[in-house]
Amino acid sequence: MKQRNLSFIIKLVIAVTVAFAAVAVSCCVGSSNVSLHDTLLYLTGRKEELSKAALIIISKIRFPRAFTSAIVGGSLAVIGSIMQGLFRNPMADPSILGISSGSALGATISILMGTSGVVIGGSITGNYIAAVIGALITWGIVFIIARTSGEFDSTSTLLAGVAISSIMTGAITVLMTMHRDNLEKIYMWMLGSFSFSTPERLSVLAVAAAICIAVIIIFAPRIDVLKLGNETARTLGVKSNTTLGILMTSAAFLLAFCVANSGIIGFVGLIIPHVVSFFRVYKARQKAILSFFVGAAFMVICDTIAKTIAAPGEIAVGAITSVIGAPYFLFLLLKNRRVNS
Amino acid sequence: MSINAQNITVTYGKKTALDNFSFEFTEEKIYAVLGPNGCGKSTLVKALVNKYANGNIAYVAQETLGVINLTVQEYIELGRYNPGKFFGGLSEEDKNKVMQAIDVMELAGLENRLFDTLSGGEKQRVMAARALAQDALWTILDEPSASLDVKHTSLIMNTVRQLCDQDKKSFIIVLHDINDAARYADEFILMKDGKLVKSTNKLDVEDLNSIYDTNFEKITSKDGRELFYAT
Repeated sequence: MKQRNLSFIIKLVIAVTVAFAAVAVSCCVGSSNVSLHDTLLYLTGRKEELSKAALIIISKIRFPRAFTSAIVGGSLAVIGSIMQGLFRNPMADPSILGISSGSALGATISILMGTSGVVIGGSITGNYIAAVIGALITWGIVFIIARTSGEFDSTSTLLAGVAISSIMTGAITVLMTMHRDNLEKIYMWMLGSFSFSTPERLSVLAVAAAICIAVIIIFAPRIDVLKLGNETARTLGVKSNTTLGILMTSAAFLLAFCVANSGIIGFVGLIIPHVVSFFRVYKARQKAILSFFVGAAFMVICDTIAKTIAAPGEIAVGAITSVIGAPYFLFLLLKNRRVNS
Repeated sequence: MSINAQNITVTYGKKTALDNFSFEFTEEKIYAVLGPNGCGKSTLVKALVNKYANGNIAYVAQETLGVINLTVQEYIELGRYNPGKFFGGLSEEDKNKVMQAIDVMELAGLENRLFDTLSGGEKQRVMAARALAQDALWTILDEPSASLDVKHTSLIMNTVRQLCDQDKKSFIIVLHDINDAARYADEFILMKDGKLVKSTNKLDVEDLNSIYDTNFEKITSKDGRELFYAT
């Protein structure tokens, strides 16, 4: 168990290295071959030494996809880690606030209205915008209900989220049943995929993620303080409702952009924080930072598998995250139990 | 700094949990809050924290909620949390206060254990240590000895007595055990049905009978302590 007691910095360096290695490998893999040497030339900025074909494949397809999956995986893991802390519940994950379902409902309505393909700017389509708006409206509703139902705290937020989530999911099912001709399109969107990644989408995602994650990292230590209870937190200068509002709103924005990019991908937000805990990183800020890189590496690896295992077709990446993630999760659970007893 | 509570009323729905409570808690004393279940003791101390917390009050709640997922060391270090410090590093003084708290609460050796894997009694000592590390003028404890054995109850209560006598700290403690209260506290806040019935510096049988609706007897031990028991 020695490696579990390494200092945080060493764990972070390992996670960052693995994440970047995964991105590099993912850039090489796909329907036409690109060498690792070419990929490394691109990633280190020596683009002029690449052939034109290799440059286009890497810059327009492979790189955006690999980085999008890294940012989405990392973001989902960060959201999961702060939710498990704020709700003091190891089963919390990004989907419980209904934001993902709200996003899916937005995309579904957009598909049914025929606006999903409308180009707003580059590859930013009506579908993408609808997903972001759907997510944010949902968070707005959850937030307002949680605030007006008495004390704004993690419990009222959680309950409002669960209720709104099932309304959204129900609405999607109704819409899908009423419009069977679009069933496959909606279903495929909901399964989650990175095959629509483009440089424009990546830049929007990267900016949104950088802002939201920065806010989360700044306020993360307050999550630890809130674990002492709202009154005790107050004696230490931390107000629970302000902290909860800021952190959850950042998480909601971050999740909105993730889901708009890739659809709903489950399990990452649930298991990655547990993986990080297994390596004895518990404090909220450290946990969020490490979760980002572990989540990024995990998602890139899963996406690389998703796009190669059934080539030239693709498997939904959400299926891969579950198939690989669940057994590892169980392994950690059992191992942890043995260590603790 | 004294805590001057004025006309505090707390209601839960239609139930008045605390009814127009007024009392001035003066410093360098240990106050024991006594009364039957549901008489508003916890509501009172929570209200005091919510109203008067300004960096001078440390508070330990009756229980923890949910999964904490922090080590004992990390939990106690939260007592030194400072919202103004972005990087949240601990100064030498902070580290000393944390070490002292671990020492006083006899938690050495448990520092790297996860809080959630501790026994109920160990958790209570960690929670008390966290408050000690905070080193506030006032410390409010809500039943700090509820799951402690006799030895660790005296550990906490003796520590409190010592901090009051030597370091001029003040305490408000909700207690169930009347004899612990009688032994360690300077003043007693007797409550019933959300109201302050009486504040006194000496417990007697009539007062206890009236707030607990039971018959108490008093005996005097060999070393001269008065002990109360319900008949």
